[in-house]
Amino acid sequence: MRIVHYLNQFFAGVGGEEAAGNPPEVRDGAVGPGRALAAKLGSDYEIVATVFCGDDYAASNPSATEELLALVREASPDLLVAGPAFTSGRYGLACARIAAAAAREGIRAVAAMHPENPGLEEAEPAPVIESGKTAREMRPSIERLARAIETLSGGQELRQQDGRIGRAPRRNRLAEQAAAGRAVELLLARIGGDRERTEVPLPSFGSVTPSAPLADPASARIALLTEGALVPMGNPDRLESARATLWLRYGLDGLDQLEEGAFQSVHGGFSTVAANADPHRLLPLDVARELADEGRIGALHHEYLTTAGNGTQVATARSFGVEWAAELRQAGVQAAILTAT
Amino acid sequence: MSVASVHDGDRLGTGLRLLAHDVVEIGLGDETSYVDGRLSVGRREATAVLEHPALATVRLVCCSPGDRTRIVKVLDAVEPRCKGADGPPAGANGRLDPSAAGVFPGLLGPARLRGRGETHVLRGAAVVSAGFLPRAQEAVLQMAGAGSELSPLSATHSVVVEFEPAPGAPWEEVAAALRLGVLRLAAHLAQSALAVTPDSVDELEQVPAGSTGLPRVVAVTNIQTQGAFKDVLVYGRSMSGSLPTWIDPCELADGAVVSAQYGHPALKNPTFVHQNNPVVAALRASQDVELAGVVLCPEPVSEHEKRMVSEHAARLCAAVGADGAIVTKEGGGNADGDVALKLDALEDLGISAVGLFAEMAGRDGSAPGLVVAPTRANGLISTGNYDELVRMEATDRAVGGERLGIVDAAATDELEIPVAAIYGSLNPLGWGHLTCAAGP
Repeated sequence: MRIVHYLNQFFAGVGGEEAAGNPPEVRDGAVGPGRALAAKLGSDYEIVATVFCGDDYAASNPSATEELLALVREASPDLLVAGPAFTSGRYGLACARIAAAAAREGIRAVAAMHPENPGLEEAEPAPVIESGKTAREMRPSIERLARAIETLSGGQELRQQDGRIGRAPRRNRLAEQAAAGRAVELLLARIGGDRERTEVPLPSFGSVTPSAPLADPASARIALLTEGALVPMGNPDRLESARATLWLRYGLDGLDQLEEGAFQSVHGGFSTVAANADPHRLLPLDVARELADEGRIGALHHEYLTTAGNGTQVATARSFGVEWAAELRQAGVQAAILTAT
Repeated sequence: MSVASVHDGDRLGTGLRLLAHDVVEIGLGDETSYVDGRLSVGRREATAVLEHPALATVRLVCCSPGDRTRIVKVLDAVEPRCKGADGPPAGANGRLDPSAAGVFPGLLGPARLRGRGETHVLRGAAVVSAGFLPRAQEAVLQMAGAGSELSPLSATHSVVVEFEPAPGAPWEEVAAALRLGVLRLAAHLAQSALAVTPDSVDELEQVPAGSTGLPRVVAVTNIQTQGAFKDVLVYGRSMSGSLPTWIDPCELADGAVVSAQYGHPALKNPTFVHQNNPVVAALRASQDVELAGVVLCPEPVSEHEKRMVSEHAARLCAAVGADGAIVTKEGGGNADGDVALKLDALEDLGISAVGLFAEMAGRDGSAPGLVVAPTRANGLISTGNYDELVRMEATDRAVGGERLGIVDAAATDELEIPVAAIYGSLNPLGWGHLTCAAGP
């Protein structure tokens, strides 16, 4: 079986964060963790090529997946293996995206990462095998991955007992009892106090209870936030247009207006023409300054925070929220206006 | 015509007696008759009850379970029923008039409350309409082999009504004529069993006023209200723009709800399913609950109307003392919102609620299955994944059309189609056995 292995720049031995912007490359044979994997797999399997890429490049460049896939295709593998990525977010996303893209075009693929890796939900339809949290758990992670590859090569699907994580595909099947009868049984269980039983697990987006209104806005410090991907013209810090993995802060001191041409939205989920013509449509700085001048709010926070809310992983968005709240609280901000697109 | 009034209460009792006559064979004949389980559909009489200026021609074809037959472009299915001895008398010339059969109030005869007295049923039989109507998505019903198990209607002996519209007739009139004709034919067939001793008798109780101490459960039944060809009639009227209403389940058995909804092959509730409401039947069959009635709800399109209807439905359930409710829908992803909002609204009032959903999880079953999920009420039943493909072997015969547009193939060809195209397969009222779960 011909295998192509995907790694990030670190595990490929190219470098650390200083090499995170490196574009995709390919080498013949196994590299780094791939050698350990090959040793576990034995002579029926050959890692014919290793494709690798810098974490930043892979996570933020919209064409990265297609570029990587082209390199994978050239090696005409029977199977693409990506990772293990452990809890590394950018690496996990890259593994998930390359595995998903390969699977969609009919190349069998499997990725490996920790269940908390934000890439997990992007791997579908490719399966993901559980790995440890960090590279210290490389050996058991590689062993589990090797067993999974053997199962796949035998034509079987990976199941939970094979270490598969993430949402398993759901298949139709006939139940003994008609749906109406099952509904009555489920309802009786629910009335009886079983609040968990279900045939369709709910997506767990969570919910946030809004806090109480400000008692005294005239003495409050207010922050402006947006998920509309509003950044200075030219996007100097390379905010992604979709599936954001970073958020940014930009100063507002000395600005009363957001002039057309000085700011732009790089959001990939809506037409940005109107927002670019008048950035206040995303970030109401003009009105906020007026309110501050009139004394109706105490002060305006000296920075605004921005990210792109477009296909963002729920786990990623949740961590942004935690970081934003912590930062604003430290800065003495009592309330924030977060504009959504 | 005599119509039961409230003063007939003592004579009619407090429930509905369903006199069931089992049908084990069906065929066309010279005269309509029901003898020893064989239903003969009289060509001349049946054609006469279907006659309408909006229909140029009608053709009748009989199909039975196990036939190597595929019915395509299925529009509706109706179980043959008529009122019994307490119902309207024979019409002129001593002939029974199907329009006065006492069932399908508001469509055959006046829209008076039904659900008491005696009703004859030809059990195991159906009148099925099939053919082209605007907005009707092509529904496939395989009578034998792989795929037939997904459609509960493959187990019935059916007379299929094919039709050609009259030249120039507006499609709405064609649909109405066909609907009325099929109801009349169903009543006409049932009338052939009026003098026959039933094979079984079901005593359907009217809703009691909370005497047993068991949990009281309401069947909250959402019905589609999206205009012509995508509507459902309650006592002959659309519920579009209405607030929810409570009815006694016995009224359903007499045809209080008739489908005029021809979209969503797998996600529609045919008239047959309203007559035999599976949620009501399952609640009646349970020893552990008390049926507290049916709340019928329209499915408006806008979110604020969906919320309003949901709140009113929950309040109606609370008013009849419900401890629980089972919520069902009709239609695609938009209608998920109606179920989700009602489940949350019911549980907010302290009424335990379970909803039936079909999943739209993609061909490989890996996408999120619900278009709109409840936020709090998490007790959900899956009636299967809409998108998964099913292979069906070729058949010897096709009824309802010669070609299938969805796959651009002859209607008798071997097919690979999504479950969504199989008539009744994901039935939102819980008719079928299909479900969906993770893993192999």
